[in-house]
Amino acid sequence: MIYLDHHATTPVDARVLEAMLPFFSEKFGNAASRQHAFGWAASDAVERARKQVAVLIGAGSKDVIFTSGATEANNLAIKGAAKARQGASTSAGTAARNHLVTVTTEHQAVLDPMLRLAREGWDVTVLPVNAAGLLDLAALEGAITARTALVSVMAANNEIGVVQPIKDAAALAHAKGAWFHTDAVQVAGKLPFDVEALDVDFASLTAHKMYGPKGVGALYVRRKGRAVAAVAEIDGGGHERGLRSGTLNVPGIVGFGRAAAIARDELPAEAARARALRQRLLDGLAAKTEGMTVNGSLDARLPGNLNVSFAGIDGEALLVSLDDIAVSSGAACTAAEPSHVLMALGLSKDRALASLRFGIGRTTTADEIDYAAAKVSDVVARLRQMSPLQSA
Amino acid sequence: MPDGRYSAEVLSRVREPQRVGTLPAGPGVGAGESGTLAHGTLIRISVRVDKDRVVEARFKAFGCSAAIASASLVAEWLEHTPLVEAAGLTPERVVQRLHLAPEREDVARMAVAAALGAIANAAEATSEK
Repeated sequence: MIYLDHHATTPVDARVLEAMLPFFSEKFGNAASRQHAFGWAASDAVERARKQVAVLIGAGSKDVIFTSGATEANNLAIKGAAKARQGASTSAGTAARNHLVTVTTEHQAVLDPMLRLAREGWDVTVLPVNAAGLLDLAALEGAITARTALVSVMAANNEIGVVQPIKDAAALAHAKGAWFHTDAVQVAGKLPFDVEALDVDFASLTAHKMYGPKGVGALYVRRKGRAVAAVAEIDGGGHERGLRSGTLNVPGIVGFGRAAAIARDELPAEAARARALRQRLLDGLAAKTEGMTVNGSLDARLPGNLNVSFAGIDGEALLVSLDDIAVSSGAACTAAEPSHVLMALGLSKDRALASLRFGIGRTTTADEIDYAAAKVSDVVARLRQMSPLQSA
Repeated sequence: MPDGRYSAEVLSRVREPQRVGTLPAGPGVGAGESGTLAHGTLIRISVRVDKDRVVEARFKAFGCSAAIASASLVAEWLEHTPLVEAAGLTPERVVQRLHLAPEREDVARMAVAAALGAIANAAEATSEK
């Protein structure tokens, strides 16, 4: 079985696992136990990991709040910032900041918290993207008002890998006094991402997309240069600067730190390698398959992502036929409902359903890419030959 | 991979399909069709009838795995089957054999409708001569 679904999750790197293991049974202390060596060892390890995660994104250590993952980080940033600004007066000193702005291609972990806030009375603007999957900055500028509390734009999309103009978007938000959050889950460790250079206020991260363990993530919360705040979602002990109470997942956090350090060290070489493999896959598919389109911009894109649609075949039958390649499909999970991201690009429902997402990762080889390209081409040809639209 | 939603027979019929194609027009040959592309499923069955039995059957299908497997199963059942037996083909038999989920029963109905249509069409073609 060939694994080409690295946007969904990645295997834990052996070096990461090795770093984590002592913290289960040997150095099992509670990082909040300040009275003895077990607690100190755990606390030291957590702070070392915090530094490693911070360095990956150009942040200060104290800016990093550990969470259970990116969904929690997104919820904390969006609901937390909204609550922090509730009732706050605008620069004009009149109406409250009761407006939020986001983008239609965001992950559900951003859209659903926004939806909940909308139900609670917040005014939420969800901006469209163009056919390449990119946010229109003029439209963003037009949407942000003196009432806007927070703008949330993902750094790179989980389905089509399209990288948004985060620096420009953040500047537009700040120009009207809004705070800026980005879901940086897919981009962190894959492309350079620096919270200072981009001037973002909140950024969500997760370990399992960068060869770390599942169940641990982080929210970057700016402490310098702009007074931003979030109201905690989870209370009970005041851990993590009071933003996220609960005993810290020490082995997970240690693994996250090690994963971040490795990702940073290997980023330039790994990004170039993934980009070359992506090109090899695209060339291999295009050589044998007509009626194939790439979904989303190829230029502004994560190096390891390819998302393509095929004309004239059923997406579910395609996925079922790919018995030895683990990829994600526009038809996966929710059989009849096409991907909201692909529909946002203007694809027809059929095209959106007949799509495949390839996620190339650290362990992917050229042989695997060649096999996948040949297999997908064969299956597409077989399904088309089976179609009543094709004679003979 | 959505394998868990399908029986082994559905998977093998999709991955290694048999009897794909359209029989060329000729004596005793008839075709039946059911479904529409607009609704995401289109099944076409063609048969060649000789005297009182189906001697050859082929299918074409656009749609999900269940549709492909249903069309393939129906084509297999029809081949070498006496017409009196073929008339007794029901969607329930397809659903039972392939262990289709209730929400996929419609494609079994389409496969059977296309098959019965093909036999009727073959009979018409024969009687017109």
